[in-house]
Amino acid sequence: MNARRRRRRFGWLELLLLLAGAVFVSPCLLAVLNAFKTNPEIIADPLALPRQWGWDNFRFIFTGMKLARPMLNSLLMCVGVIVCLVTVAPMAAYSIMRRKMATGRLLRVLFLVGLTVPFQIIMVPLLKLFRVMDIQFTYLALLVHYVSWGLPLCVFIYSAFMATIPRELEEAAAIDGCGQVGTFWRIIFPLLTPCTVTVVIFWGLWIWNDFMQAFIVMGPTKGQLVFVQLWKFLNDQYVRNWNHIFAGVVVLSLPVTILYVLMQRRFVKGLTAGAVK
Amino acid sequence: MARARTFRRGNWLASLILCGPAVAIYGTFVVLPAVLGFAYSLTDWTGWTDEPNFVGLENFRELAGDERFASAVRFTLAETAMIVLFFTFGSLALAVLLDRLRSAKGLIRGLFFYPYILSILVVALLFKYLCNYNHGAINLLLRSAGLDAWAQDWMMDPRLVGTFIFVLVAWSALGFFTTLYLANLQTIPVELYEAAGLDGAGPVSVFARIQLPLLMPTVTTNLVLATIFGINLFGQIVVTTEGGPGYRTATVGYYIYWLGVKNNRQGYASAVSFAVFITLAAVAILQWTLLRRRQVEL
Repeated sequence: MNARRRRRRFGWLELLLLLAGAVFVSPCLLAVLNAFKTNPEIIADPLALPRQWGWDNFRFIFTGMKLARPMLNSLLMCVGVIVCLVTVAPMAAYSIMRRKMATGRLLRVLFLVGLTVPFQIIMVPLLKLFRVMDIQFTYLALLVHYVSWGLPLCVFIYSAFMATIPRELEEAAAIDGCGQVGTFWRIIFPLLTPCTVTVVIFWGLWIWNDFMQAFIVMGPTKGQLVFVQLWKFLNDQYVRNWNHIFAGVVVLSLPVTILYVLMQRRFVKGLTAGAVK
Repeated sequence: MARARTFRRGNWLASLILCGPAVAIYGTFVVLPAVLGFAYSLTDWTGWTDEPNFVGLENFRELAGDERFASAVRFTLAETAMIVLFFTFGSLALAVLLDRLRSAKGLIRGLFFYPYILSILVVALLFKYLCNYNHGAINLLLRSAGLDAWAQDWMMDPRLVGTFIFVLVAWSALGFFTTLYLANLQTIPVELYEAAGLDGAGPVSVFARIQLPLLMPTVTTNLVLATIFGINLFGQIVVTTEGGPGYRTATVGYYIYWLGVKNNRQGYASAVSFAVFITLAAVAILQWTLLRRRQVEL
């Protein structure tokens, strides 16, 4: 691609950076290694190989920490939020981008402002609002919060992409007697697939990994998403059982790691999509 | 013409269907709480049952003399300074190196990006383990190397805890900021490098004369993003030090959380969050305009 790099060679720079990269991720490797050991083994020598590769720690994740149900909950939450986001956000973006009137511009600014609002600002009134609506500390409240919190970025990403779609397609559809909503779903939405993939990756990963907002919206006692459950378990323990912690960390990071290895380019693109503007 | 007609034809109903859900959800659960937050900041609301009383600007007056807030601001600014420097220049250096790779590109970049896809709780637990005084890997390795005196309480020593938070944040988001630079580096036309090569320019002058000037838009982006990132530092504190030892690592974000969620001083918490948000917005806009002007000059 680049003339400077016409020769694909594994030289000193490659070796050096590969080693640096390996050192960089070594805390993760250490976690995997130690997830197979017993606690005394970890304390005796963190770098040694396990005397016996046992699965006891991983069994404990499901018996002791009871992570199976939260894993299902988190997965369902991801699916629910993403379905809402990829229907609501592109419709709004389409409507905003295809109008020149002042309302369109006003809406665009309104959503843009949402990108900058930090969670701390809405945190307290939001909890009050959920209480008034009588959905405090429920999955519904968390779902609603994730969707509303994700909307500005999704509308932003979809709008930016929408600007590259020619209008001729819609005009043809309109001449054929297709209404606006029909045009959107039949013509535009399929064209937005690359964007939808970005949104799915970004929010899927974000919701799976989220601890803070689930912890605050669901309350510490009722939170049942994966990382809240892990946190709850850790806080209930007097003794730090590093082997269990490592097994939990490894199991909960495994799905995203596998997806990352399989689709690295899409992940990187999806996760940086919101920033390049 | 056809375009204008399709849209003018009314279709307020279609607009309602398309735009309505988004506006309703966003308006109710983001805009409304933000506005309510501002309203609460003028009250002494303290929790779930008490009705808020209007106190005017009393909260903002209290804020001016709040020693804990001042200490939170100092810590946040110190962390932000390190974070901004590192994510603006450290990730720039890494990106330039990564851009020169001729093979194993995907693998090596993938390694540096990897921590960014991990949950902050995972990152926190890994660092808590590494830095634990009794059982942590760092201290165990130091002791087994006979360097007992070097073993430190990396996480809870007041002198080291600031660095601990910084390293944690730097490790987890380095890949993100580096990727933004890499994306920009790939847009630099090959001809420029070829021309520089013909003129006998070395890597240093290629960097100074070609790469850096053309990377200025991303320098701006990263500077602004890193500033926002630093000022909003919050989750990382909750899952590691919880503001300790003492109040040493309470960031502004953590202080708001502490006031609003743990201490039931919602009115005051809202006031703090508003003061911070407005300051941050002003700083971000200022940075953006100043650096934008520089870009045009270059």
